[in-house]
Amino acid sequence: MDLSKLPNDMKLQLCKSYFKVGCLFLPFVWAVNVCWFFRDAFIKPAYDEQKLIKKFVIMSAIGAFVWAVILVTWITVYQTNRVSWGATGDALSFIVPLGRA
Amino acid sequence: MSESGSDLDATEHTALMDGHIAEARPDRELAERIARKRKTKSDNQRSYGSVEQIEGGPSGASIAQQPRVPAAPVEPQIEELELKYGARHVIKLFVPVTLCMLVVVATISSINFYSVKDVYLAYTPFHEESPYASTKVWNALANSMILLCVIALMTVLLIVLYKKKCYKTIHGWLILSSLILLFLFSYLYIEEALIAYNIPMDYITLGFVLWNFGVMGMIVIHWKGPLRLQQAYLIFIAALMALVFIKYLPEWTTWAVLAVISIWDLVAVLTPKGPLRILVETAQERNEPIFPALIYSSTVMYCMAAASPAPGAAGERELRPLQPHGTVEGEGRDGTEAGGGEAGFDAAWRERRDEGAAPRRLRVDSAPPRYVTRLDPPHAPHAPPHAPDLDEEKGVKLGLGDFIFYSVLVGKASSYGDWNTTLACFVAILIGLCLTLLLLAILKKALPALPISITFGLIFYFATRSVVKPFADALAAEQVFI
Repeated sequence: MDLSKLPNDMKLQLCKSYFKVGCLFLPFVWAVNVCWFFRDAFIKPAYDEQKLIKKFVIMSAIGAFVWAVILVTWITVYQTNRVSWGATGDALSFIVPLGRA
Repeated sequence: MSESGSDLDATEHTALMDGHIAEARPDRELAERIARKRKTKSDNQRSYGSVEQIEGGPSGASIAQQPRVPAAPVEPQIEELELKYGARHVIKLFVPVTLCMLVVVATISSINFYSVKDVYLAYTPFHEESPYASTKVWNALANSMILLCVIALMTVLLIVLYKKKCYKTIHGWLILSSLILLFLFSYLYIEEALIAYNIPMDYITLGFVLWNFGVMGMIVIHWKGPLRLQQAYLIFIAALMALVFIKYLPEWTTWAVLAVISIWDLVAVLTPKGPLRILVETAQERNEPIFPALIYSSTVMYCMAAASPAPGAAGERELRPLQPHGTVEGEGRDGTEAGGGEAGFDAAWRERRDEGAAPRRLRVDSAPPRYVTRLDPPHAPHAPPHAPDLDEEKGVKLGLGDFIFYSVLVGKASSYGDWNTTLACFVAILIGLCLTLLLLAILKKALPALPISITFGLIFYFATRSVVKPFADALAAEQVFI
């Protein structure tokens, strides 16, 4: 999909749809939304729908960042405390490493 | 499919979706314009000449000869244009094919799981367990024949569905296979990768990551998304499929299947009654894209303006990647009967995939018409498009099944551990791809991409393995550097 060939209202719709889909626990979709529409939102010369696109891009960026923080925190907590949690740690584990704790 | 010579019938030479192209491929447009000019000019002059003849005989003849001259210098220019674009296409396809092969080779070298043969598909009942070479040979041939039959069956089934316009069934099939591929196979891949690197992982993180990965893949493949991301996902799923083949086919069967599939490809695409050719021509007649989902495209293709809602399902797909339904792998692991999956990648691929052999329908369409109607559906179905760049207009399409089989060949070669062989196969496949694209530029019709590459690949593999490897080993042992 080449954004430069799309009319502006389609771009807005696309950005909005990506934002809505990302609300389903999908920060990756938000991140893609940010990367994809970044140029259109901030670098291109102003056009009508740019304001709204900018809004969605910023919201997606914030959402993706928050989710990233949550994910990284959880991963850190899990990896450091997996052993000390004993049985719970094992129950949570999908892969238990061999040959070490 | 009538094969009459009338201009109104679609033949294999008709560009796909000609009628919907707002901006035709420039060189074809140029050629047409020139042809038209030539014709009208000669017509005018001929008629002028004939009128003249009534009045004065000799002058008619001389006038009629004139139109011939201006036509000549145009031909080489058009050919040059086409060859130039052909060369660019080759490069555009090198990168994804190389990437796919790299992913497969990297996985095979690092993750032991894919080289270990424990479970087999139900499609390959002969497991090559005897020590005798002759038994292995007939085992391999029998397995490949079974796979070929299943593929052919699924291809025919697909053609029937397509001809009967059961688009919903086909799309449901495609979506199901991409779902399975993106979620199940990726899950298995991640699991094996984590085990190989001994990294602990919890269900929550895994579930979250897999959910994001899978949904993004579905969006980008079946709906709209950035081109690069779509290409990346297609490459990844092709690599996944190739890994499945490498794991679940017995040794000699893999090579036999490669050879047999290449021949099938040749037959199915080039013979007049070949199923794949029928598929192409039906799509051309109906002016529809051919299951874009199963094809890797190097440029962006727009879906037809959604002016027509209904068959819009078909019309609106741009790149529907052919998602192989690979229920094979999952079943193999459970030891249950391998059901038919729908193979993804190309309609044919689907078939193949069904039983685990990816149908590879390859059609390297050289400059496929760009479905350039803009996405302004309701009010302006034929809205004037912007003038796209000449370069972006032309994209090359390669069926995902081709990616898969190329990667199977190289991956299998690399599973024996020798880098000479792997590189030789890699180079052979790229050479084959170049030749195929060259042929495509010359012949300008749908061509099978497998035969040439796989033939070269197989030749190089066996030659390197039996001749070059011992030679290189002997040289290294004697410390002779050449």
